[in-house]
Amino acid sequence: MSIVKTNKLTSKDLVTVGIYTAIYFVSMIVVGFLAFIPVFIPLMAILVPILGGIPFMLFLSKTEKFGMITLLSAINGILMFVMGMGIYVAITGLVFGLLADLVVKSGHYESSKKALLGYCVFSLWLFGNFIPFYIGREAQIAMLAEGYGQEYANALNTVMPINMAPVLFVACVVFALVGGVIGKAACKKHFERAGII
Amino acid sequence: MKNLNHKTRHFIVDPRSKFLILLLNSIFVFGGAGGAHPMMLPIRHVLIAIPLFFLLFEGKGKSACIAALGYAFFYIIQVTYFGLTKGLLNHMLLFSIGFFVRILPNVMAAYYLISTTTVSELISAMERMRFSNYLIIPIIVMMRFFPVVIEESNAVADAMRMRDVRFGGKKISKLLEYRFIPMITCSVKVGEELSASAIARGLGSPMKRTNICNIGFRGIDFFVFVFGILTIIVFSTTKM
Repeated sequence: MSIVKTNKLTSKDLVTVGIYTAIYFVSMIVVGFLAFIPVFIPLMAILVPILGGIPFMLFLSKTEKFGMITLLSAINGILMFVMGMGIYVAITGLVFGLLADLVVKSGHYESSKKALLGYCVFSLWLFGNFIPFYIGREAQIAMLAEGYGQEYANALNTVMPINMAPVLFVACVVFALVGGVIGKAACKKHFERAGII
Repeated sequence: MKNLNHKTRHFIVDPRSKFLILLLNSIFVFGGAGGAHPMMLPIRHVLIAIPLFFLLFEGKGKSACIAALGYAFFYIIQVTYFGLTKGLLNHMLLFSIGFFVRILPNVMAAYYLISTTTVSELISAMERMRFSNYLIIPIIVMMRFFPVVIEESNAVADAMRMRDVRFGGKKISKLLEYRFIPMITCSVKVGEELSASAIARGLGSPMKRTNICNIGFRGIDFFVFVFGILTIIVFSTTKM
């Protein structure tokens, strides 16, 4: 194998993507279990970006080529789809991953401001989980009532009103900012000391 | 994902059928597509039963039986007793029914895919499905890596329990810093070694990869595919 630096992804990069996708996805599952309690479903827009900030910022310190963020986001979306979160999350995963990749690329994968901004864009993949509540809302509520009981569906109906969408959108971005800052701090405090950056 | 000895295995299902089972399970059982239509109910039960039976044939009868019993118990509660409960009991039951009736079948399908497929079978199946290398390598690494992350996470949890950094402990605010971050650190270190070893073994060489394992559609795969088509037909009739 040649050691010449190319802009194409090498297999080492792909392995890195796989490792960080696993770490990121496991952290998502940890929070995801909370979503059984109806109140926590809108709170996902806060918890997921904050927790995801740490692995993602570490991942960004390893990326220097276009495509890695897109792949991580797309595979994460596909996994979420396979885990039963609906088809939308696979689409938002791909779209926002690509956008985040473009944002981070514009900072040449070095600028820390662009990295934060990129994480904000990336976090919007989460919105795919909420789309079923807005497109085809009646069907979704009826489905929940059938699967989890009327009480659960009613609770969700009250905590996820239809005008909640912009709030969730903004919350995603704001808390991604918070998560990104925490992630950066964690990188400085722990990961650099442990010698993995 | 284990290195299964090929010679001792008689019951081999094509990985593509396993993917199909997992996908159908996540859409129709976990995702609940099709709603409460009476025709969907038997379909759902067959979907749940397929991976359990296959696990039984692969010699993992114990976990299959436990899952089946757990599912049956909570399913019976759901249809008989659940509607009568209120308040706290209702919420607790909701939580366990949600877990056993919805998530568990999906987890078993995923467990079936991961525990009974060798890495080379999976790569070979994905190559036959014309996946690009950009997708195959991360997915394979990820599947290989999930158990590592979970193992590291348990090890860190054990160490931290001694210092009372746990759910319900006194230092719950330090959970993020002393459990999540060490888990990532350990996993990344293992991952770097894994990456070096994979490249040393020739992953990513420009030559086309050849494969010794022999996958292909057999009778059982035919059954799975026919059932998948049947499911989709029934699902589209419930929409009308």
